[in-house]
Amino acid sequence: MTLALVLHDWRLVERIVGLTNRLGCALTRLDLHLRDRLYHATIDVTGPPDALRRLDAQLTRLLNDDKEMSR
Amino acid sequence: MPDPADSTGSQLILDILSDEGVDVVFGYPGGAIMPLYDALHRHSIRHILTRHEQAASFAAGGYARATGRVGVCMATSGPGATNLITGLLDAQMDSVPVVAITGQVRTPLMGTDAFQEADVTSIAAAATKRSVCVRDVTDLERALRAAFRVARGPRPGPVLVDVPQDVLKAACPRFNAFAARPIAVANERPGDAALSEAVELIRRAERPVAIVGGGARSANATQMFRELCALLELPHTATINGLGCAAPHDPRFLGMLGMHGWKAANLAVNSADLVLALGMRFDDRVTGRPDKFARNAVVVHADIDASEFNKVIPVRVALRGDLRHTLAHLLQRLAELEHRPRFSGWAAQAKALGGPLPADRTPQGELSATEVLDAFFAVAPDDAIVTTDVGQHQMWAAQRARASHPRNFLTSAGLGAMGFGVPAAMGAQLAFPERTVVAIVGDGGFQMSLPELATIKRYALPVKILLVDNRRLGMVRQWQELFYERRYSATDLSDNPDFVTIARGYDLRAERIDDAGEIRDALERFLVAREPRLLHCACFPAENVWPLIPPGATVADAMECRPGENLESEAIPA
Repeated sequence: MTLALVLHDWRLVERIVGLTNRLGCALTRLDLHLRDRLYHATIDVTGPPDALRRLDAQLTRLLNDDKEMSR
Repeated sequence: MPDPADSTGSQLILDILSDEGVDVVFGYPGGAIMPLYDALHRHSIRHILTRHEQAASFAAGGYARATGRVGVCMATSGPGATNLITGLLDAQMDSVPVVAITGQVRTPLMGTDAFQEADVTSIAAAATKRSVCVRDVTDLERALRAAFRVARGPRPGPVLVDVPQDVLKAACPRFNAFAARPIAVANERPGDAALSEAVELIRRAERPVAIVGGGARSANATQMFRELCALLELPHTATINGLGCAAPHDPRFLGMLGMHGWKAANLAVNSADLVLALGMRFDDRVTGRPDKFARNAVVVHADIDASEFNKVIPVRVALRGDLRHTLAHLLQRLAELEHRPRFSGWAAQAKALGGPLPADRTPQGELSATEVLDAFFAVAPDDAIVTTDVGQHQMWAAQRARASHPRNFLTSAGLGAMGFGVPAAMGAQLAFPERTVVAIVGDGGFQMSLPELATIKRYALPVKILLVDNRRLGMVRQWQELFYERRYSATDLSDNPDFVTIARGYDLRAERIDDAGEIRDALERFLVAREPRLLHCACFPAENVWPLIPPGATVADAMECRPGENLESEAIPA
């Protein structure tokens, strides 16, 4: 699964790595670029479909809070 | 113009707390956070000194659960900060708005393994919605405002703000009060197509059941939920965090759902052809085996957090939005139906699926915990706030509680954190000084919060502590009995201390009973007094929580008594 994420706070990368590990997935690529004061992350993750679905949901929640925190 | 340097980071924090509506904070001082405590000494915000930082975060959670407002706790760096974590995770699991402020070592020392240094923002990352360290005093206001905004929601939760000591001391411009306090308003409403589909599923259903959860409490949607149930004559049940959302005496209310839920509630959901899941998240203690949960039903799931949809249970219709808006739209559309469905017949059938709660008794008539709790809930004031600790007494209380409001029954549901009951009651009592607040605790959890008797005494909090003492870590003991061939490993607390003497040592009134005949009078003395009290109920140790759906099993496997016994049996193994 490839995810394109927009982060306001680059420190969320730590949490993304932690969640990926917790859900039994593996991170095979992580690119992070600063553009227009936002961090654009592209991550490749492998793992069981259920775990990937849960990871996607957890990251959605995380990014919503990130957006709110940066307002 | 204010002098650009006539305030400090510490002063700024307190002024912002005031502006955010905070009137009380719970905490414990220490080295790194001393500048903030120094400023607090001269500030109007009330500080409650707990006797352990964990109690501060539980108390902030109790305050927030009881009021719906943000609870605030604070602690110093290192061990102070890490001691807050359990309370923060508790708030995270049950979506409770809490802001924690921690002191941190000075910025030049960070990363040097300094005295009482801990990377608390990393430690807290998995226990909070967000955790941030503010390294520059000019960022402090923005970070704190954001922390309150994120804590409030739309889905509430905890946020930790870590502030190094030099930032607390740093000079900064004086705070100018804001005219408008940010208020979290979740205006999202589900789309028309999803609402129409949900209404159509309700219209076609024959055996619908509504399940209400803590999201209804957060969204202040209790009244609308009750209107929906009344409009459709809908049988309904509640998760433990949803207790109080349903009207307690509504004949269509089937009781709590889940592992220790009422039989009628579990069987009705199992028989349902439609489940309306409202502000709940299909916790494993609710569903048991998810592949067997409500397998005859299509599910309509309403929640503010889209990440909950299809997380555990496949959903036919997802209604994302503020539950009040969702229910308002559903009510309007259902009320306009030419042939509005009514489910009174099914509701009566559902209710008849289960009988009274089974309970163990000994042939000798020894005092039982369920007798005590039955008697307590029969006489507790309607507006009493009840907190629980975690374990058997929590489940017995949840089964029996008839909370008239979802903020009247406060429990560590998702995390199941022992030691929660007493400090949470302190938080609730500080929010509502005139109301009766009772902490129902077991002997295990109570011993995790004993130092807070000093807090109760110091602030003259009239918290009542109903101690259900079975001299065991009862829930674990029960599982050892039923699922580990009675190998009772590390669950025997038969050498418990004399709790009455301990309470009296803190100058609190305390009483012990061990006979069922004493319950009524003891409860009357306990509840009438406007002072803190301990009622120590010495109960027999082998009482189990029934019903029980064994872990990984289904409602069909629910146990109502020990294997080999029948419901009428009074035999209790030694």
